[in-house]
Amino acid sequence: MALAIRKSTFSILATARCIVPREFRGLSSLPETKEDVAQDVAKRSTGRKIRFQNPALEYRHVYPEFLPDPNPKWRNTLREKMERADMLKRRSQIDIPEFYVACENQSVTDLYRTYKTLTYIYPVSSPTSFEPFIRVSGTGIISRTGSVAHYSLDEGPPKGSKLVSDDTRYIYVKLKPKPWLERWERQELKGVANIDEHLKEKDKVRRELRKTPWEKYDLMKQYRKTIPAEDQNEIWGEVHNQLNQLRLSRKKMFKKRPVSAPKTQLA
Amino acid sequence: MNQAQVTKLVSKLRINVAAEPRRLRSPKGPEGRLNKLRKTVTGLIKYERIELNYNRGDEARQYAERLISEAITHGDCHKPTMEIADYWLLEKELVHKLFKVLVPRYENCNTAYTRMYKAPRPQYSRNTEKAVLELRGNPYPPLVNKQHNNRHLIQNILLDAAKYDYRQAKYAEMAD
Repeated sequence: MALAIRKSTFSILATARCIVPREFRGLSSLPETKEDVAQDVAKRSTGRKIRFQNPALEYRHVYPEFLPDPNPKWRNTLREKMERADMLKRRSQIDIPEFYVACENQSVTDLYRTYKTLTYIYPVSSPTSFEPFIRVSGTGIISRTGSVAHYSLDEGPPKGSKLVSDDTRYIYVKLKPKPWLERWERQELKGVANIDEHLKEKDKVRRELRKTPWEKYDLMKQYRKTIPAEDQNEIWGEVHNQLNQLRLSRKKMFKKRPVSAPKTQLA
Repeated sequence: MNQAQVTKLVSKLRINVAAEPRRLRSPKGPEGRLNKLRKTVTGLIKYERIELNYNRGDEARQYAERLISEAITHGDCHKPTMEIADYWLLEKELVHKLFKVLVPRYENCNTAYTRMYKAPRPQYSRNTEKAVLELRGNPYPPLVNKQHNNRHLIQNILLDAAKYDYRQAKYAEMAD
């Protein structure tokens, strides 16, 4: 009851504060000061950008699996909500690391995904944050197409591929000669050092013909592949608190973890 | 089930978007399709109201909405947005119009930036639906007049004249 009263008095005061100056303004014949108008305009002009300033939107890079399929044929708000709750419950039980590498089945949203990761290495240098890319040991190449990372399993290029330069951002890879698993030359890979060595003249011509420079201007194609910011605001508003807590608890667990050198297994 | 892309953040369109894009026939394939739409979007930004076939109008409308919303969110100092505007607007003076006229016009708009009406089909024509596509807040007189009581509407003038004639005929009958 006391709470209610306090709240009501506060709200009355607040409304009064809003109304009073306006009433006086209404009674007076003086025009509104220019400052007020300018402030109003500034507020209004930023109104649209505020939707993009939501800090929780940054979660989309870390937990892209919480976003639903952008195809409207697959959308169902209730199902998506239940799935998100389910995913949070799973994460509270198991420590599912955040993946940044597109593995074989990474293109599938979370509940329908089967994880196939070869190695997951705790970064030694920076224990508080996971490194942006997983180092894959054994046979395999990592390459980057712009923002998407590719990882291909054996056959074709991988066996004996050498890491040319090991930057934290880019890992350059030397390709073995053909036959390849895919037509790597057509994918505009940024992580491959020596792709032109293995190409015939015909391949280069075909690569030029297959290029689609107009696609980056196809605004609707991009739109159909993304979840708009307004929808994302709702999603992250729903889950970001719990995700934050999960992250914090994981950090604590990580610090408590006993540090010991891994034992080498001799066959 | 596909993973949504996260590199780009777009604002939601206020119009209904079909799940699949329409294919506009062109010998040059998808590039030719975009070229057609570029012409239409340029025409829409230039003339603010155009009449065209429904299919192409509906497709071009989506691209025009996206172009304007990109311009509003990123402004004219954002290089990728500038490139997009440069690609979509074939007449370069329209780039200025987009950022200096249309962005201030639609900044605080809560509805779609364009409006589309179905236009009457020409008689004995092929089966092509026609449409009128326009930018909101254009300087032309409105196409749909919702003021049914307006005495100056052509329909109302005609109705009044018909009523007057009818009454005159009745009076003439009664006088006889």
